[in-house]
Amino acid sequence: MSDLLLPYVLLIVVGFLPTEIWRSLAVFLSRGLNEGSQLIVWIRAVATALLTGVVAKLMLAPTGELALVPYWGRGGAILIAFCAFFIFRRSVIGAVIAGEAMIIAAAYFARAQLSF
Amino acid sequence: MDATALDDPPLTRTQWWSLFGKGAFDAASFPAWIIMLSLFGVGSLARDVGHPLGAAVFSTLLVWAGPAQVIFYGGLAANVPLPTIALAVGLSSIRFLPMTMAFLPLLRGPTTTRFTELLAAHYISITVWTESLRRLPAMPRRQRVPYYFGFANSCIWLSALSTGVGYLLVGAVPGPLAAGLLAVTPIFFTISLTAGARIPADWIALALGFALEPIALVILGPGFDLMGVGLIGGTIAFLVGGAIERRRA
Repeated sequence: MSDLLLPYVLLIVVGFLPTEIWRSLAVFLSRGLNEGSQLIVWIRAVATALLTGVVAKLMLAPTGELALVPYWGRGGAILIAFCAFFIFRRSVIGAVIAGEAMIIAAAYFARAQLSF
Repeated sequence: MDATALDDPPLTRTQWWSLFGKGAFDAASFPAWIIMLSLFGVGSLARDVGHPLGAAVFSTLLVWAGPAQVIFYGGLAANVPLPTIALAVGLSSIRFLPMTMAFLPLLRGPTTTRFTELLAAHYISITVWTESLRRLPAMPRRQRVPYYFGFANSCIWLSALSTGVGYLLVGAVPGPLAAGLLAVTPIFFTISLTAGARIPADWIALALGFALEPIALVILGPGFDLMGVGLIGGTIAFLVGGAIERRRA
């Protein structure tokens, strides 16, 4: 196979298809489901628990530069963002900025500690 | 329940595109930035494994899932066998099944075709999902499709651009800011889910996801942990949330 095409073929077979299959499957499985049905309430609860699980996982087992931020910085950023959301009268932007400030400050703190 | 009530009149072509534009503008005014920031780093991962700029940009347009793209390029960089990478990508993307199933009834009207639904499903990402669940229910049903496609297209194309820029600017971001970039996703997901929570089941699911993941990571391992957290946490949330609502009623 041509070396020029290989990255694209890999992308489609190994990256795109294993992801898209779930989205497409959902189109067929959700036929006839109603917006207000109890089944949809349950499925939404499953998706929500799964997504906060993703957040916990990203913060518990971080990759790259985030792994150098101490655990209190990672956990604190989520907590601060959550509190800031309500303090700033449900401002999503305000909450994200507050959380980000915590992470970046903790990252600088960790780096300063390392250099001692 | 509004179900499939269609009291609103059909849209004219001008109205359709004006709603599409409104969606695109709303996304570009903030939510799209979140995905742009989180997919910025994928560009540098693609470059690390020697793939061309075009493939990096296509990975965002086609895969459209940050964790899956990180696993894909990370796996290639570590010489993991291809079937193993495909399996890991597939497991990491299972969330799209309940997400898309919960979303489509919100979008669907009597005139929505199967093709429209498949296309709409492709654009589902966590940001698009949480924002749509928050914004669409308040809109007349016919207006949801153009608004959604405007919103989602704005997110995906701006993010593809960002992945490309990330590819070109590899290594230019200082450490603490790189940590900040990686944290954008989890922080935004938390806030977006909080903002979208409406009924007790939503709140309980939100809390249980955090609480159960550390346990699941140990017991179920990094492949099946999230599926376990979703099914167990979601089911408990559904049952307890339902009981709370019945008591209130």
